[in-house]
Amino acid sequence: MKRPEIKLLIISSLDPGTDAGTLARQIEDSGVSYDFNGKFTDRVLDKIFGAELAFNREIEFVRKLNSAFYRVALTGVAAILLLLISIFLMEGSLSINSFLGIGDTYDESIVCLFTDN
Amino acid sequence: MKGSYSKADESELIQASINGDRLAFGEIVNRYRKMVARTVKGMLGDTVFAEDIGQEVFVKLYHSLSEFRGDAKLATYIQKIAVNLTLNEIKRRKRFSSLFIQKENDDIYEFDVADEGHEEKRDAKEIVNKALMSLDPKFRIIVTMRMLQGYSTKETAEILDLPLGTVLSRLSRAQEQIREIIVKL
Repeated sequence: MKRPEIKLLIISSLDPGTDAGTLARQIEDSGVSYDFNGKFTDRVLDKIFGAELAFNREIEFVRKLNSAFYRVALTGVAAILLLLISIFLMEGSLSINSFLGIGDTYDESIVCLFTDN
Repeated sequence: MKGSYSKADESELIQASINGDRLAFGEIVNRYRKMVARTVKGMLGDTVFAEDIGQEVFVKLYHSLSEFRGDAKLATYIQKIAVNLTLNEIKRRKRFSSLFIQKENDDIYEFDVADEGHEEKRDAKEIVNKALMSLDPKFRIIVTMRMLQGYSTKETAEILDLPLGTVLSRLSRAQEQIREIIVKL
């Protein structure tokens, strides 16, 4: 299409009385077509689903960290309970002295222990 | 449904996309990319910056698909997102420099590979781009909707959320301006 023809087409396409759809197609056929880069779709999808994947990985990491924390915490609580039970069985009470392992020790025996006599 | 979506209808594509199906959303992008390109490149010029806005349109569409009630056509919904993002970009650029867009489009014109060697086609595209870029954005958007997208004045008013009378008066003024601009090209 020659320059004057395309100019006429542009002006007439803006006339409210004309069929805009038909004229838009004619304008497109004359070479006025628009599209994005060939890799546009892949880029859009990578932008959306790539970000989503990173987000999902982050959530998965936090979930695993939580589950690991629960396991460590439960093991710790079980160990403390076992320790308390064993102290109670060995010392017969749960006093501070029992915890320190000096529940049935006399002061003299401590002095002897330190002075080596 | 996994696999090819080339023959799937819109509602099926939307539902699959909401469920995170990459292929389904890829089909939506492929179906509407040219339509978005006409709006974005018609408004911002055939520049590399328009690609980014085009991508943003589809990213925003993906995140708002669950809010799409289906009252309007998906094309109209996408078109509204494209118009809003493009107008926001123009406003953002205006804040930096009022001359930026005009200069940028004079400097960076991209032509499709298919246009190479086709002087007439290149001429036509150059005339349209220069005419569009010479217009104020509020007229440019009306011309883009009408001349590049082929929408009626009623459809244009619906997409732009403007009264029909405003669209008609802007179209008339845009036509006068284009007539003056085009003579010089």
